[in-house]
Amino acid sequence: MAAESPTSVRKVVVHLRATGDAPILKQAKFKIPGTDKFAKVIDFLRRQLHRDTLFVYVNSAFSPNPDELVIDLYNNFGFDGKLVVNYACSMILTSYFHTSKGISLVVF
Amino acid sequence: MMDVFNWDGTVSAKDFRIGALSFAQKWESLNSAFPPWSWVPCPKHPWLASPEEEGYLSLENICISRPYEVDIDQNSQTDPGEEETSCSEKEDDIDDATLVQSNHHELHYCDFHIVYSYTFRVPVLYLRAYCSDGRPLLLDEIEKELPACSSKESPETKWAFITQEEHPYLKRPWYKLHPCGTSEFMKLLFLGGDTGQPKLEVVLELYLLSWFSAVGQVVGLRIPCKMLNDRR
Repeated sequence: MAAESPTSVRKVVVHLRATGDAPILKQAKFKIPGTDKFAKVIDFLRRQLHRDTLFVYVNSAFSPNPDELVIDLYNNFGFDGKLVVNYACSMILTSYFHTSKGISLVVF
Repeated sequence: MMDVFNWDGTVSAKDFRIGALSFAQKWESLNSAFPPWSWVPCPKHPWLASPEEEGYLSLENICISRPYEVDIDQNSQTDPGEEETSCSEKEDDIDDATLVQSNHHELHYCDFHIVYSYTFRVPVLYLRAYCSDGRPLLLDEIEKELPACSSKESPETKWAFITQEEHPYLKRPWYKLHPCGTSEFMKLLFLGGDTGQPKLEVVLELYLLSWFSAVGQVVGLRIPCKMLNDRR
């Protein structure tokens, strides 16, 4: 825990982890301001993977709302000084979650 | 005992019921600002005493309209905030806002049910929406209201997996989020853990919460972080 800076400007280390057959990123760890929304992480993944459909979740159990702040997720699910974010690409999910941008667990 | 790796992503009716009750309890204690879910028991054969009680979770009369956008506009125009010393003026403002609201923005409400599917062995979200006068809303009208998430752009929203079907207990037409992919994504959700595979009993305990963290987003219902965290 970085105690020196106030929560508002604290950066959070996000560790992106591929699940299933999702491609592994060259740079899997990066820092992001805690005040950023989780949507930013999803956007980053989409750009990196060139995938339209992604299933993004934390703590191997929950899919956070894109509006959630990264710092809140870190405070709840952070471990070992970082927030582990799992991502998966699945054809099954593609057909299932046919929705538009940013409104559900899958982002087109 | 089966481990998570060989698990097919489904739950039994009994685990669903247990999970539903603890979900409702947790929601009430940790998300008290929001109306509570309640368990509605519905015996399939009322004349038979069934040891396993059937039922569903219900959250009803949730206002899904977004009238506050109108509200804020109105307030900034008519109520600069400094004149709150006089009670009568304040009342006038409230009346004014109500009038504008009902002209431009009719309030819409939604009922949500979480029902167990015996075919897919997963929870299914059913919903229906209606106006304040009781007129039911069609799917494209619901789409306009839901969800109130971060989306800036959603005109081309396509909910291919929402269908209208008979509610299994109420026997009325409701919309449902089709459960055909549920077990796959539930299985995926619990794979790739940080500290090895969780025990299946832990997974089943978290099942409904995890499922709702994903599915709730589709309809703009959000689980607070602390509710997901407080799990041990």
